[in-house]
Amino acid sequence: MQNRFQATMRRLGLGVAAAAILVSAAAHAADDKLVIVTSFPTDLTDVFKTAFMAKHPSIAVEVLNKSTSSGVKYLIETAQNNQSDIFWASAPDAFEVLKGESLLAKYSREVDGIPSDLNGYPINDPDGRYLGFALSGYGMMWNTRYMDAYSLPVPQEWSDLEKPVYHGHVGISAPSRSGTTHLTIETILQGEGWQDGWQTILAMGGNAKTITERSFGVPDGVNSGSFGIGVVIDFFGFSSKASGFPVDFRYPSVTALVPANIGVVANAPNEAPAQKFVDFLLSPDGQQLLFDAKIMRLPVNKNAYDNAPEGLPNPFDGSIKTEVNFDSDLSEKRYNVVNSLFDVMITYRLDDLRAATQAVQQAEAKLEQSGAANAEAAALIDEARALISALPVSEAEALDPDFNAIFKTKRKSKDVKVEGRQAEIEQEWDTKVIRNYSLAVELANKAAGML
Amino acid sequence: MNASTGWTPGNAAVGAAISAIGIEIRDLGLSFGSTEVLKGIDLTIEPGEFFAFLGPSGSGKSTLLRAIAGFGPTPRGAILLDGTDIVGEAPWRRNVGMVFQNYALWPHMSVAKNVAYGLNERKIRGDEADRRVRAALELVGMEAYAERYPSQLSGGQQQRVALARTIVVEPRVLLLDEPLSNLDANLRVQMRQDLLKLQRRLGITTIFVTHDQEEANTICDRIAVMADGVVQQVGKPDDVYDTPANSFVAKFLGTANVVEGTVGRDADGAPLFRAGSGLVVPLRAGEQDGPAKMVLRPQSIDFTDGTGPDSVEAGVVAAEFLGSVIRYQVRVGDQDLLVDERHTRGVARRDPGETVRIRLNHDQAVLIRA
Amino acid sequence: MTSVALRRPARGVSLGPYVVAGLILLFLGAFLVVPVLKVIQVAFQDPGTGGFTLVNFQDFFNSALFRQSFFNSLYVAGVSVVIATVIALPLAYFTSRFNFSGSVIIQTLSFVPLIMPPFIGAVAMQLLFGSNGSVNLLLRDNFGITVPFMDGLNGVIFVQSIHYFPFILINLSASLHNIDRSMEEAAQMLGSSGLRLFRKIVFPLAMPGYIAGASLVFVKVFDDLGTPLLLNVNTMLAPQAYLRISSVGISDPMGYVISTILIIFSVFAMWVSFLGMRGKDYSTTQKGGGGIARRDLRPHEAAACYLVVFLILGIVLAPHLGLLLLSFGTVWSFSVMPDGFTVAHYGTALTSAGTFIKNTLIYAGLAGLIDIVLGTAIAYVVMRTGVVGRKWLDHIAVAALAVPGVVLGIGYLRMFYGIDMPGTGQPLATWWGIIVIALAIRRLPYALRSCTAALQQIAPALEEASENLGASKFRTVRRIVVPLMAGGLVAGFVTSFATAAVELSATIMLVSSENDAPLSYGLYLFMQSAAGRGPGAALGVMAVLIVGLATYLSHRLVEKTRRDRSTPENSGGHR
Repeated sequence: MQNRFQATMRRLGLGVAAAAILVSAAAHAADDKLVIVTSFPTDLTDVFKTAFMAKHPSIAVEVLNKSTSSGVKYLIETAQNNQSDIFWASAPDAFEVLKGESLLAKYSREVDGIPSDLNGYPINDPDGRYLGFALSGYGMMWNTRYMDAYSLPVPQEWSDLEKPVYHGHVGISAPSRSGTTHLTIETILQGEGWQDGWQTILAMGGNAKTITERSFGVPDGVNSGSFGIGVVIDFFGFSSKASGFPVDFRYPSVTALVPANIGVVANAPNEAPAQKFVDFLLSPDGQQLLFDAKIMRLPVNKNAYDNAPEGLPNPFDGSIKTEVNFDSDLSEKRYNVVNSLFDVMITYRLDDLRAATQAVQQAEAKLEQSGAANAEAAALIDEARALISALPVSEAEALDPDFNAIFKTKRKSKDVKVEGRQAEIEQEWDTKVIRNYSLAVELANKAAGML
Repeated sequence: MNASTGWTPGNAAVGAAISAIGIEIRDLGLSFGSTEVLKGIDLTIEPGEFFAFLGPSGSGKSTLLRAIAGFGPTPRGAILLDGTDIVGEAPWRRNVGMVFQNYALWPHMSVAKNVAYGLNERKIRGDEADRRVRAALELVGMEAYAERYPSQLSGGQQQRVALARTIVVEPRVLLLDEPLSNLDANLRVQMRQDLLKLQRRLGITTIFVTHDQEEANTICDRIAVMADGVVQQVGKPDDVYDTPANSFVAKFLGTANVVEGTVGRDADGAPLFRAGSGLVVPLRAGEQDGPAKMVLRPQSIDFTDGTGPDSVEAGVVAAEFLGSVIRYQVRVGDQDLLVDERHTRGVARRDPGETVRIRLNHDQAVLIRA
Repeated sequence: MTSVALRRPARGVSLGPYVVAGLILLFLGAFLVVPVLKVIQVAFQDPGTGGFTLVNFQDFFNSALFRQSFFNSLYVAGVSVVIATVIALPLAYFTSRFNFSGSVIIQTLSFVPLIMPPFIGAVAMQLLFGSNGSVNLLLRDNFGITVPFMDGLNGVIFVQSIHYFPFILINLSASLHNIDRSMEEAAQMLGSSGLRLFRKIVFPLAMPGYIAGASLVFVKVFDDLGTPLLLNVNTMLAPQAYLRISSVGISDPMGYVISTILIIFSVFAMWVSFLGMRGKDYSTTQKGGGGIARRDLRPHEAAACYLVVFLILGIVLAPHLGLLLLSFGTVWSFSVMPDGFTVAHYGTALTSAGTFIKNTLIYAGLAGLIDIVLGTAIAYVVMRTGVVGRKWLDHIAVAALAVPGVVLGIGYLRMFYGIDMPGTGQPLATWWGIIVIALAIRRLPYALRSCTAALQQIAPALEEASENLGASKFRTVRRIVVPLMAGGLVAGFVTSFATAAVELSATIMLVSSENDAPLSYGLYLFMQSAAGRGPGAALGVMAVLIVGLATYLSHRLVEKTRRDRSTPENSGGHR
């Protein structure tokens, strides 16, 4: 037995070793190489990779797929011995982070048909570190079967998602987890103002079924029917629909169109092929590829829309209403505070927020039912509502660079002394928020008791 | 009581309810897959008897014992306990006590818990159980160790706990699977006497499995010699010793010279055993002619000074000092024989190479036919 | 004195064990301790000044959120162990007690839950058990009720229990097989049978295996990240750590503080389980005594057993059933079953699956081998030598269980990106071997538990016999210990292999070329888009099949080995 066992193990070992040698031998053999780090799905990258390699047969394109945040981490951690040529992702914030780390090379191009800005939002980085290649807007997608089953009306505006009828039916990701969600949140804040914006966001959050960990978790949940309505970036909605799921998508009137970007990595080992790829992406041929059924993104080149498929709106002819002129400076200034605040108030305390929201909604329903005006109860409900959206931090404070510095571990220099720690601040907020939520439940119940 | 020198069974009130029953085994066969390990076993064990299954490794003796206890594959044939066939009955319904070769004390229970286990299974708890556990431990002289764990006991102590654990439930029969094999020599001698006393006191029908003929001979009423899954011979130890049924039994029970030859006639027509080596031994009248084997114990051959008609010349090959006797290996023609000579002080040993005369005590010889 | 002491007194100047211990320590140091320290040092830095401080830990305990997370994690881990035990016990009992026609298949099938591909498993679970999943849709339509299987902490417990119970099953089964048969027979002879016998004799004797499995489940659930994340449960420690470490832009030290606390607590839990096992070393010289006796079942008993087994398997394999449906389904959305069926997803998946599968088999296979070699060496040094501080080898290796994959991945990039591979000039971190090592380190605790349990049941006398016959320590280990540990080693290999095959978190950081990417990376790619769901599920099914097949073959090998060893013994007629 013992011999047989040993023999088996030996054979196993030999086999594995032999296979290992084969694999290492089979690795790489091409004259020109191009390494792209991207957060885009293969459905998108494969289309461009195939088309690009058909045009430049000598260049072997290697696509490394990582989530936006791990892609950024990867580039930062590997900068000491960089092997990547291009970073290709949606969220401008990720590019801003890389730019801040001086990890992007300067490469700008003028292409006919690509305007410099859309409603005031620059399509390309003014410093020339990264370029927009497609436009994305934010909106709501919903599962039609789910809406039928629960008899839910189709929401039109962000504010619709605050309605009691949607309680427990909404899915959203956290801005700290998803660059695209951050843009959505920031869009609402810029469109409605700090206090009103947060009130909308908190009211939406109070109706949330779940806060997903990845941005793709939202369309995934809507596609499965885990929840009915999701706050998503447009192409998630379009591509889900194109894949046959019983879903639909619409832009609310307050939205922003933000470019998805591409940038050449600093010290890229294959700089020339990298630039060729960027050129290809922005060329009319490249822009056409965005209309692929699995991609469905909006080109930045106006001229590309002549061949747009049915149902895809043209942002340059006003078919998407964009009332917000996105201010990326403002967004960048309070970036971390917004993320942290969202997590403290919504992500980590979703149960409490939901309970408070539900209590208020029920009290309101009861008030309406009773018909009689009960000023005292109405005042209590208003108070409860105010408690839910009471913010532990003011807009001015959120924009204060010193306060923001608390949320950054990378200190600019050794001399910079930062007062306070993120954990301390968050605990402080947490205490307030929990108190407010439970007080809101109390007040709402009291109001309901009067009716 | 000293743990290392055994104990004398106490007078504790254990086993009052044991009534000796008989065991009858009828045409029992058993196979492991395609290997037949027990073949046509027929045995009757009397109530209260101390019975031994004696045989070498692989003879099937433990398998037979386990079959009685209900372990292992279900055998063919019948095992009657007190007249009732128990083949196919679950082990836990047989009320048959067994002491395992490695004692099989449960390491996660104290001595007292081990012994109390079978009582608890019989719904005996509380004071009654305590009393009987104490009595059983007293019986084997282990009352001082009740709270110890098996890993804290010596082999002999574990043995006695295993015994106490088995008899405390007053089983119908007691099965001992090589109970002495893991003990050292002195303890073994002490222990086998203690076992005998215990068995006599309890009066319980007991089967003892061993490969050691001395153990079996010293304490058992009757023995069954087994080889190759077959019972070779059954009887009282001395009967089997004196009249072995075949050469295997002869050799397995003590030392024996087994000489091959033929029975023929001398000039007068009297029966005569002729070995190939030229050895000739006269036989009692009435022996049939034909090929046969003659069994002759070493103590049935003497050295002699005379040159009588029944003495032959032999050469000493080797000598072994065994204490009370000296065992010589001598050669007659090409036949080697073992000869025992009583050892007395001051008498010199015969040297190898020496030529001697031996006399075969032919009325002690036993003839085995084919 | 017959008590079987495991540890023997240190023997004078024997250097061998120290060399082995040194090599292990070097390996663990280079690939676990230093990379992790490089990452979690942030936990001990004042975020303001960069100096050393413990203030972050104070913040941790001051935070209501973190305290709640800690207790939630503790609660989930504890309850998961209980439920996993309820699932594992009957399976272990039936398969080791009865001559069950499908024992091997049952053991293999019940291993399959460990092989749950990331992401896609979550989707399958939601589609089946989610609040609008198949089960609840049926319940709502027919009875007007819903059961919140997947909501909050209950969901985490549910998923974790059916995911990790094989750890208990595997270790418990191995222990049951090693029980000396006479232990059980002695109880039967005294009138015990059935469940009582199991409860009072068999299970206590199998305790070391059970504790090994249960502690693994506890620590794994306590540290696990994937399940709470996929259920969007944030108020537990591991997700808190992950969310804080991997947020864009923000690098709150609390993520690293929590990682540190996870590591320390896991080692503590393992230590407690070790204390629990101490003095319960029931090693017997009759290794391979056949385990508890198996008996044939009467027809009605067999029917009852099959009912229980299939009920359990039905629950634990439901996610895989969901995966299968998903892989063949066209669109599956808010419905009990997919709208239609197709094989097209397999075609899509196969275009890219070849390289992924090949890489996965190589990576996970090599990682498994490294793990059992390291596991055996560590278990041996810890239990059978007097090397000073040997316990620490065990503690360090087990701590790997608690290291979040992201932390290890980042640590490797920090440590090995600057070092060039000899010869090629590529950074060491981009070499595929680094992925193998990362997987091996991550899965080492599994293999180590199996190796330790296996070695525990080998009496030192067997080794002494070999040394007495002139075999060196090394040869003794190779020729006596390792063959006797075979069952445990295969169990360890299979556990490491199978779980490494679907590992994602560390590998995704380390994959630097698509040619070197394993299957889980391919899955990740598919699961990034709506159209990728079907092909992703198809790839997941392939992964499960391949790993399941490898597991089945290993089980066959073990069973055969066991039979070969026990047959002559039985026919010998006495033992």
